[in-house]
Amino acid sequence: MSVHAAGHSSGIAELDPLIRRVVGGRLRDQSALDDVVQETLARTMAARIRLDDGALAPYAIVTARNLVSGLWRREERSQRHLHRLVDRWEPPGPDDDVVLREQAEAVAVALAELPPRERLGLVAHELEGRETASLAEEWGSTPGAVAAQLKRARAKLRVEYLLALGRIDPPTPLCRPVLMALSGGERRRQRELEAGQHLLECDFCSDMGPTLLQSREKGAEDDVQVPVECDADVVAARQRAREVAAEVGFSGTDLTLISTAVSEIARNIVQFARRGEVVLTRVEDDGRSGVRVVARDAGPGIADLDRAEQDGFSTYGGMGLGLPGCRRLMDEFEVTSKVDKGTTVVMTKWRQQPN
Amino acid sequence: MLVSILRQGDFLIASIHTALDDTEMERFRQDVVTRIGQFRSRGVIIDVAALDVIDSFGSRCLADLAHMARFRGAQTVIVGIQPDVAFAIVQLGMDLDVHTTLDLEEGLALLERLTAGSRTGHSAIGVLGDDR
Repeated sequence: MSVHAAGHSSGIAELDPLIRRVVGGRLRDQSALDDVVQETLARTMAARIRLDDGALAPYAIVTARNLVSGLWRREERSQRHLHRLVDRWEPPGPDDDVVLREQAEAVAVALAELPPRERLGLVAHELEGRETASLAEEWGSTPGAVAAQLKRARAKLRVEYLLALGRIDPPTPLCRPVLMALSGGERRRQRELEAGQHLLECDFCSDMGPTLLQSREKGAEDDVQVPVECDADVVAARQRAREVAAEVGFSGTDLTLISTAVSEIARNIVQFARRGEVVLTRVEDDGRSGVRVVARDAGPGIADLDRAEQDGFSTYGGMGLGLPGCRRLMDEFEVTSKVDKGTTVVMTKWRQQPN
Repeated sequence: MLVSILRQGDFLIASIHTALDDTEMERFRQDVVTRIGQFRSRGVIIDVAALDVIDSFGSRCLADLAHMARFRGAQTVIVGIQPDVAFAIVQLGMDLDVHTTLDLEEGLALLERLTAGSRTGHSAIGVLGDDR
């Protein structure tokens, strides 16, 4: 497991020369180059969890390209506006109103692109504040399935909105599905569509893709973040985990298993790193839904991961059941750790066991 | 009120009413051990029916409590572990090496048997002449 984990973190580091080459071809200024490379790595790192491994390098390249063109645009603009630098306030221009109206129209167009049920569901949930549970009752479905449907609808809406706003039709038939997969963070679908390859080939999607991914990060609607610093936070983390898992539709026993695992992992943060966070995310893959727990800290790290994942290995006189115990409680479990940098544990529980 | 520790003749009945964090759990353990000396209790019931999670720390704390109580001359019975919690404890790989029963009633019955012969005899629960 640790080999796998190491492969992951060095995967990002290996991108460095690649990005440097991409950016170096476009920028002369050494310090600007360093900035762009750093920013690209940071964004790629942040989006990594939502990306298939094969899409990592293409995503980084596309991000770098966009950052560079953004830089040019900013420079050009400041050049253009230099003469009115003293003027700190601009009256609302005649175009502001138009921009607002265009945005509203784009939302309407995008909404119209959704199937009627998804559109009604989304409006009921987002605007009227209806619970997934009551929608589920109306549709004869489960809250988990409704939530999954709403999530897909939101992903679709984001894509359609951007298309409507730009008044563009995607150049290839592959564009729309790829953008949807990116928007929804569906890694499996991305792999099937070879999204990484398409991002590199299609200029249109290379512009759109990162915007979609980043808007996902800001729209933290499906992420629940729990800061962990003290004993009480451990209890809070496991209670939040139970709530999120219940929303996904887990049964009683699974709720207990998940919150027990979160309790263990959150305690590790308090015990070894003093400060960190637990992020709970609802995940979808191939029709199954589940909950993903990411626990990260910037603590001392784990020197010997292989031993830490063995039963009975403890560095502080505990029972040494923390990590191996969590592996047994959850379906997927992965630890990444770097000495003096910190530790990240990613674990997932799926609602239906794959047989 | 997070916990309560009640005296019942020769026994202590300690109940946890809500989720406790690690510090509270340790304080609870300490309080129970202190009361055992105070009341010269022969048996302790720990009611954990309200806990929806007993993780490795919780299990260890309960096991330690039972161990400490034994050194103080008292037997401990844990009662009311929820089925899901029991499953999680086993999955986690914990070996909760203490006396356990399904509910309070069975717990008291077990304590009566465990402490038979060492009792001072003025239990409010124990039936007179229960020594057999």
